[in-house]
Amino acid sequence: MTPFVPIARSRSAAADRVFNLVTAGAAWLVLILLGATAASMAWGGRLAFETFGLGFITSTDWDAVGGKFGALVPIYGTIVTSIIALVIAVPVSLGIALFLTDIAPRWIRGPIGIAVELLAAIPSIIYGMWGLFVFAPFMARHVDPWLNDTLGPLPVIGGIFTGPPIGIGMLTAGIVLGIMVIPFIAAVARDVFNAVPPPLKESAVALGSTRWEVLSRVTLPYARSAVIGAIFLGLGRALGETMAVTFVLGNAHDLSISLLMPSNSIAAAIANEFTEADAELYRSALVALAFLLFVVTFIVLSAAKLLLLRINRAHGRTH
Amino acid sequence: MSLILMRRRAVDAIAFLFASAATAFGLFWLFWILWTTFRQGLGALNVALFTQMTPPPGSGGGLLNAFYGSAVMILLAVVIGAPLGIAAGTYLAEHGRYSRLARTVSFLNDVLLSAPSIVIGLFVYEIVVRTSGHFSGYAGAVALAMILLPIIVRTSDEALRLVPDQMREAAFALGIPRWRVTAQILYKAALTAILTGVLLGVARIAGETAPLLFTALNNQFWSGSLSGPLANVPVVIFQYAMSPYDEWHALAWAGALVLTLFVLGLNLAVRMIARRTSK
Amino acid sequence: MIELIEPLTRSEQRTDAQVKIEVRDLDFFYGTTQALKNVSLSVPAHAVTAIIGPSGCGKSTLLRTLNRIYEIYPDQRADGEILIDGEDILDRRFPLSDLRRRVGMVFQKPTPFATSIRNNVAFALSYYERLSKAEMTDRVEDALRQAALWDEVKDKLGASALSLSGGQQQRLCIARTLAVKPDVILLDEPTSALDPISTARIEELIHELRERFTIVIVTHNMQQAARVSQRTAFFHLGELIELGDTAQIFTNPRVPRTQDYITGRYG
Repeated sequence: MTPFVPIARSRSAAADRVFNLVTAGAAWLVLILLGATAASMAWGGRLAFETFGLGFITSTDWDAVGGKFGALVPIYGTIVTSIIALVIAVPVSLGIALFLTDIAPRWIRGPIGIAVELLAAIPSIIYGMWGLFVFAPFMARHVDPWLNDTLGPLPVIGGIFTGPPIGIGMLTAGIVLGIMVIPFIAAVARDVFNAVPPPLKESAVALGSTRWEVLSRVTLPYARSAVIGAIFLGLGRALGETMAVTFVLGNAHDLSISLLMPSNSIAAAIANEFTEADAELYRSALVALAFLLFVVTFIVLSAAKLLLLRINRAHGRTH
Repeated sequence: MSLILMRRRAVDAIAFLFASAATAFGLFWLFWILWTTFRQGLGALNVALFTQMTPPPGSGGGLLNAFYGSAVMILLAVVIGAPLGIAAGTYLAEHGRYSRLARTVSFLNDVLLSAPSIVIGLFVYEIVVRTSGHFSGYAGAVALAMILLPIIVRTSDEALRLVPDQMREAAFALGIPRWRVTAQILYKAALTAILTGVLLGVARIAGETAPLLFTALNNQFWSGSLSGPLANVPVVIFQYAMSPYDEWHALAWAGALVLTLFVLGLNLAVRMIARRTSK
Repeated sequence: MIELIEPLTRSEQRTDAQVKIEVRDLDFFYGTTQALKNVSLSVPAHAVTAIIGPSGCGKSTLLRTLNRIYEIYPDQRADGEILIDGEDILDRRFPLSDLRRRVGMVFQKPTPFATSIRNNVAFALSYYERLSKAEMTDRVEDALRQAALWDEVKDKLGASALSLSGGQQQRLCIARTLAVKPDVILLDEPTSALDPISTARIEELIHELRERFTIVIVTHNMQQAARVSQRTAFFHLGELIELGDTAQIFTNPRVPRTQDYITGRYG
């Protein structure tokens, strides 16, 4: 047996090291970018945080000339539109996910699944344009007046539904946002429902359960945390969305209880005003808003991921 | 039939109705939005769209400079982001089970994937635009690359994980060094999946507006240079749609239609490729 | 009764045959779980040694120590000695690529690379030896002939390896291994994913190859072990229970547990 030395043996050890370094470096880059973004937003916003302190979060001031800024209106608008979006999107998405996994006949699942994914692929600016030119006028003509008339006069909650029928406001923005978020939650929920081990579902069916019973007694309990994770994922998207809401939210600086009134969201405020911000403090206030948004979405998305990972682990994947 | 059974069947029927209604509801919006885009956009679609530049307020024109700017920035973003993303995805796939770094990066990568794109835009503004003193196509490309990166990391990681362990072992058993196993065997086996990941990433960044607002900004005129503000489709659509001029609205719809067709076309192409390779 | 083919002839019996591989006091761990306990055995040259036993007994584990393929998984480790031609391959200083060239491995599921038939065979070869185009072509043909695949693919060497049938792909994997001229060939349940006709062809191939190579085959199919091997090792729960000539193991096992397994008392 001839002792044999392959040509490039020592060279390949070096090549292995270089390859490892490059790939590990790229992996580190992802971490660095994330950290740098957070740090950059914190740094840019420090002037505003120093100037206004914690009052920044509770103040409704927004006075570019006088140099007084407060984050409450954008924060409020962001939260309200996201809540409206989830109220619409969650039941619809779960319904779609149920339809796609258990109810629809097999031949229809493919095309409808594709349709849902196409909905997710449409750029959010298209949603915004449609919202501005088609949906807002529709709301102004048909929905706002009806709300004003029927729910407006009610005590306590009436104030929420009173406002000028211009179609621009938190309700319209929330609805557009909700429609945009539906395919995201639906896609994740569908994957989650499909990840439930078939033997579990099949044994329930073998015992005579109806489809609804399989869903409510087997699928949902098994996938409960993952479904919540899917909802959090949708929430994270909704909180950070710019284009779908900027067109129809109105960029107002006053806080109002009514859903029919224009308002502002963090992302919309930044999008609308950053290029015009001429003073250091003005810019810093906007970056401070961005920092708050980043922190909140980071928490929501991390929670979503943790919840989704749990079903993967239970399912036995080695990720 | 017993009463209990009837009730259970009724509940099931209601659930069926609800799920079907939900699906119909979702599809309704899809069709309405697409219908609107087509109707408004087709009316404004003409040859001038692809031959003339963006016009001053009140007059007609085209979107040539915007198409060019978007194409250049997307291409540059892919050149920057795809190799980095594939490299990082390779690290995650090959070390994912054993390295805490890999698990952490995988987790945080998915967070970055869904992070607000306007924050990314601001970040690139701070480090590129501020330091260079002006808006630029380069900054826009960097912002798009940063949005593309986590998508490619995720899709490359999954693509490489799909390659069966036994193929890896067979290559190692032949004595082939690790880097060659990855570069020459694994990449080839996962090539289609990696490419479709890149295409999906392109579809996503083509429609991104927020990150370009403070980086590439917009440019009314033709600009062949990337070191100044560069026209691009999404920001043009944004500005024109928010304006009070009808001609600008028409152009915005035309741009929206082209953008939608491009993005949907890419998605369908990816599906067809995926179906063909999974036999 | 199990049909026995090719019993060792007098001159090939253990006392005269060369020992190619010698395993001494081998322990193997997956993390904290011990999968092999104090295994010692010897594998003669130019013969087929079969390793049999119920699922989870450690037979694949043992095979995978012989070319140190387990090392790509950081949480697996082996303690002990494995001597091939007298050299301890578990020694850190033993060059891994030398080992991998001398000891080839064929896996349960055929895993052709996503490239042409020719490239599959030539791939590792081009890493080990600098050959001219003509020499490479010859070596590829040679390997394919040895694997009894040449006639079926000689007109389509450029075609994708994935277009071959399962049995052909497995023979391609064997050709790939043979191309670098190893001494030892390890087969890990090579026919369990194949149909009976392909299985028979590969068993024929093993029979042809044993003249020039040392072969170790792991199989859960006892009839296969009886058909192709001259020596058989029976494992159970990570321990070597009995090692002997195939004829003796299957007709007259010495250890009761071996007897129980052979007669199907447990699987």
